Amino acid sequence: MTADLALIWPELILTIGGLITLMLGTFLGDRQVGIYQLSALLTLAAAAAAVVALFGVETTVFSGTLSVDGFGGFAKLLIYAASFVCILIAPRFFSGGMRAEYPTLIVFAALGMGIMASARDLMTLYVGLELNSLAAYVLASFMRTDERSSEAGLKYFVLGALASGMLLYGISLLYGFTGTTDFAGIAAAMGGQLNIGLIFGIVFVLAGLGFKVSAVPFHMWTPDVYEGAPTPVTTFFASAPKVAAMALMTRVVIDAMGPALGAWQQIIIFLALASIILGAVGAIGQKNIKRLLAYSSINNVGFMLIGLAAGTQQGVEGVLTYLLVYVVTTLGAFLVVLQLRDADGNQIESIPALAGLSQRRPGLAAAMAVFMFSLAGIPPLFGFWPKYLVFEAAVNANLVPLAVAGIVASVIGAFYYIAIIKMMYFDDKSDTEIPAGGGAIVEDAVITASALWLSVIGYLFIPVLAVVSASAAAVLF
Amino acid sequence: MVDLTQYLPILIFLVIAVGLSSAFVFLPMGVARLTGAHKPEPAKLTEYECGFPAFEDARSQFDVRFYLVAILFIIFDLEAAFLFPWAVSLEEIGWAGWATMMIFLAELTLGLVYAWKKGALDWE
Amino acid sequence: MIQAIVFLPLLAALIAGLGQRIIGTTASKILTTGALFTSCALSWPIFLSFVMGTGEAEVVTVLHWVSSGALQFNWELRVDTLTAVMLVVITTVSALVHLYSWGYMEEDPDQPRFFAYLSLFTFAMLMLVTANNLVQMFFGWEGVGLASYLLIGFWYKKPSANAAAIKAFVVNRVGDLGFMLGIFGTFLVFGTVSIPEILAAAPGMAGSTITFMGMRLDTMTILCLLLFIGAMGKSAQLGLHTWLPDAMEGPTPVSALIHAATMVTAGVFMVCRLSPMFETSEVALGVVTFVGAATCLFAATVGTTQWDIKRVIAYSTCSQLGYMFFAAGVGAYGAAMFHLFTHAFFKALLFLGAGSVIHAMHHEQDMRYYGGLRKHIPITFWAMMMGTLAITGVGIAGVAGFAGFHSKDGILEAAFAAGGGGVIAFWVGIFAALLTSFYSWRLVFLTFYGKPRWEQSEHIQHAVHDDHGHGHDDHAHAAQGDHHHDAHHSASGDGTAGYHPHESPVSMIIPLVLLSIGAVFAGYAFKYQFIYPEQGLAFWNGSMLAYDAELMHHSHQVDTWVKWTPFTVMAIGLFLAWNSYIRNTTLPARFVAQFKLLHQFLYNKWYFDELYNVLFVKPAFWIGRFFWKKGDEGTIDRFGPDGAAALVAGGTRLAVRLQSGYVYGYAFVMLLGLVGLASWAMVNFL
Repeated sequence: MTADLALIWPELILTIGGLITLMLGTFLGDRQVGIYQLSALLTLAAAAAAVVALFGVETTVFSGTLSVDGFGGFAKLLIYAASFVCILIAPRFFSGGMRAEYPTLIVFAALGMGIMASARDLMTLYVGLELNSLAAYVLASFMRTDERSSEAGLKYFVLGALASGMLLYGISLLYGFTGTTDFAGIAAAMGGQLNIGLIFGIVFVLAGLGFKVSAVPFHMWTPDVYEGAPTPVTTFFASAPKVAAMALMTRVVIDAMGPALGAWQQIIIFLALASIILGAVGAIGQKNIKRLLAYSSINNVGFMLIGLAAGTQQGVEGVLTYLLVYVVTTLGAFLVVLQLRDADGNQIESIPALAGLSQRRPGLAAAMAVFMFSLAGIPPLFGFWPKYLVFEAAVNANLVPLAVAGIVASVIGAFYYIAIIKMMYFDDKSDTEIPAGGGAIVEDAVITASALWLSVIGYLFIPVLAVVSASAAAVLF
Repeated sequence: MVDLTQYLPILIFLVIAVGLSSAFVFLPMGVARLTGAHKPEPAKLTEYECGFPAFEDARSQFDVRFYLVAILFIIFDLEAAFLFPWAVSLEEIGWAGWATMMIFLAELTLGLVYAWKKGALDWE
Repeated sequence: MIQAIVFLPLLAALIAGLGQRIIGTTASKILTTGALFTSCALSWPIFLSFVMGTGEAEVVTVLHWVSSGALQFNWELRVDTLTAVMLVVITTVSALVHLYSWGYMEEDPDQPRFFAYLSLFTFAMLMLVTANNLVQMFFGWEGVGLASYLLIGFWYKKPSANAAAIKAFVVNRVGDLGFMLGIFGTFLVFGTVSIPEILAAAPGMAGSTITFMGMRLDTMTILCLLLFIGAMGKSAQLGLHTWLPDAMEGPTPVSALIHAATMVTAGVFMVCRLSPMFETSEVALGVVTFVGAATCLFAATVGTTQWDIKRVIAYSTCSQLGYMFFAAGVGAYGAAMFHLFTHAFFKALLFLGAGSVIHAMHHEQDMRYYGGLRKHIPITFWAMMMGTLAITGVGIAGVAGFAGFHSKDGILEAAFAAGGGGVIAFWVGIFAALLTSFYSWRLVFLTFYGKPRWEQSEHIQHAVHDDHGHGHDDHAHAAQGDHHHDAHHSASGDGTAGYHPHESPVSMIIPLVLLSIGAVFAGYAFKYQFIYPEQGLAFWNGSMLAYDAELMHHSHQVDTWVKWTPFTVMAIGLFLAWNSYIRNTTLPARFVAQFKLLHQFLYNKWYFDELYNVLFVKPAFWIGRFFWKKGDEGTIDRFGPDGAAALVAGGTRLAVRLQSGYVYGYAFVMLLGLVGLASWAMVNFL
């Protein structure tokens, strides 16, 4: 047991670091932004370093309830990196309203997500998920004096509770019909004769997880929460938890339900198609850029689920690659949104206000164009690559109609991405002034780096990416 | 076929519970009717519970500090609930178990410190 | 050298067309005109060397083009006598038209484009006549069609010009389809598209049959008729002639170059070039003769009634092309080429002369508003006189005459000498010659004699009222206007409305003078080479394999009355015209009143346009509209792009409506999804 502690260094570091950050904020006051922010950043960096240090280890700890492996490691690195960026960009957004709870909650959320990514027992799964969710509910209503923020937090909480209920019910069914909460044990039971209880258990668990990845029809909270939550929080919601939930879902369906492929594949396919189509269709009517990005995330999750639906190692590789590219793109896009402030310093979220942005902020518009093209999956940009991977996996798994439907739906999706580009580049300037925001060096650097990576440089990483995602995915098979 | 005989204690428990609660309700009423004067008026006929009127609009003004205290109470209540199973199995889980609970308590203490410093315990 | 002749115009066209913004208007004009004069200067020595008998036929390979299985051919420039004749015709007329356009198009804002098109046309035409294989000929064929389309529609803001351009293009498509099928068939039968190889093999194919549309038909007849359909389209022969009069919407220099001297003669050239093929089919030759004679007669009759000066000349062109075709049809290819050669000069002259008149009259084209212009624009008058003398064929048999005299009489005599159907063609030709004389003199008399009648012309009123004091050149806008004539009456009583036409600038006069020389002497100077038996044989030198020296010999031996008849009918025509339009000007009106039906029939061009409108245009529009409305919009768009877009829009509305903002709604959707999924999984499991 003590030996097990040495294998969960990332989690230990996050716990201790989170507490330290909280105490720093409590005793030094919320004014000392630099100190507690640094503490949180260091915590995340140290945790990431610990993950790297555990590279190559593949075992389970605490009686097989948590796994330490490459798959979890890949997801954790991505989660920590996304959390890192979300802490980095916050003070500028909240300016005077920054409080120590923000970095603390993100660190705790990251801890929960790390547990989600390595859970291999229904109990740890739930603990990790709730740890993340509780932090998320508070984060959503972080600007507690802001009506929309409070509303977002409350909605997220209520619907999250409902989803948790579904998940728990599913867990209890699975436990009831298999007699174990261990993934391996459940898989062994699934290998035998299926029964209706197990089927319902699978459906309910997938529904609960579908809420976390915001797959249609469990996506309803996404647009409202994304719109209402403070933009850095939305950035966080759109990036790290997606990785954790997707990794968890992957582990559950492959590790725990792998033998019952026939039972869950169609559910995943439905979730995938519904998400892609509704994500694309719903985005078209949006006037708020954050809402639009919410639909975009629903849409992208659908594409990831295509890779998952294949149920093969190739599919999982596609999902992991997709997650990486998606996180980079989404962070970039939200960072661009964060940079949009009018003359009074108010955040701009309305899409019509972006008209003619290329004349006011050419660099920002160019970066946004890259992100949009990449999200649309238009070939010269790197966003095309993971889409290609998941489609290839689906085709190889004899899911040709699914791949075809996905490709057709991605055309609908391309419409609104390109509509934004058209608006930025070809429409007359909107009345809203968008003065250049000086001093956003960190943000600009992140935007530039992600835009460059997505534009061409990403392709240089394909060999590395292939090896990494392949070794991470191989863990599950 | 379910062996219903196993549920006999529960049945006995239910019977006793129903009997006792009935006695609590009806015994005072009966005694009062037999011993005291019977002059009903609206105030006397209304239900009594914890000093609050039993039926009123749920949307009443409610001091949020009650809520805060209640939450803090629940946290420490649960902590105490955790301590019982831990205490009885301490022999088996040994020092590791002891350390784990100490860490848990320390975390909880930090939470208390946070709440304290933030003024959650100050009524005014 | 030949490369320079062919490609200089292309180079100039490309530079002037694409680089006009950079090099400017004047440079564009200098470049294109200079290129054409250079081409012209290089062409004449080639032609003269063939005339002297020193020229050698040669084939220059420019590039490899297609090598695909059995289909192999190159870009090749063939130079022989036949090509040389066309070379001088094309480059000379084109160079002069370029020069003429300096004056004529002076006020136009789009001059570089105009000159680029002209040069492009010249290149395509040269490509056509130097072709050594049918595909290259087709390339040139389509190239001139394109240039013709662009130039007819040059004033693209004018709806009638656009309509005319489209009409020319579409009608030519019909002919081109025939030509294409002819090329395909030729390749099918001969296994090659190389012209020399085909011509060498053609006599051997005579009498062979082929199954075509389920019938056993004579191979060569089919091929020749298909190819001849192409020639009919390009050369505006009866049936496919309707585009030529409308093509007069283009600027007058274009009419002179493309629709008189060069492009429209491409059909004649093609028939002559492929003459050995046609010689193998009696039927095909009969059709060529018949169509040629019919066109000759038809166009001449219509020409007598038209009022628009350019239309009269356009019908005259149509009619003269008919002469060329029936000459080819009776086997007198030399005579056909000779008439083509002389006609190029005098018809270009007539058009340019007409252009000069139009220029002087502020783009008024209606001859009813001319009159008495002889004194105002004397040089133009004399140039037109030369042209008219040439076209009507004035000359003394056996001595000398104007260009048209030698060539037209050559055709008529050859037709008579050929006997059989040729005799009929001869009589038709004689009657057409009478009409030719009548309408040509009518044109001259209406335009240059009598009293000025232009006070009622809208164009002139426009010029007098608006441009008073600005000189008389500011007429570019008038060209874009419509042609309605309100019966206004001006105060001045002499019919001039105070307007006095001026002679055209020198750049327009020089081409007129040079072409006048051609119109006068081209016939006499080259008659021996073109149509005399022995000299002709030496001159054509195998470039026109079917040159029939014997027929030419017979044609010079016909009876004296045959030789004198054309001149006689010319004189009759002249007298009739003089009688009607100078001596007794009320006569035409009375004639029209007397023979109203006949006049209406002729004036409306035998109702060809109306007939085609009912037969082809309306049904085509109907089919087009059907496919557009029902097929494209109703089916493909509705269930394709529009349907998908509507579906997406509907989906968007639904998604937005579902996103109500109420938590219970969201929870409901989640539960609904859960129930749905669970039910599905259950049904699937059971």
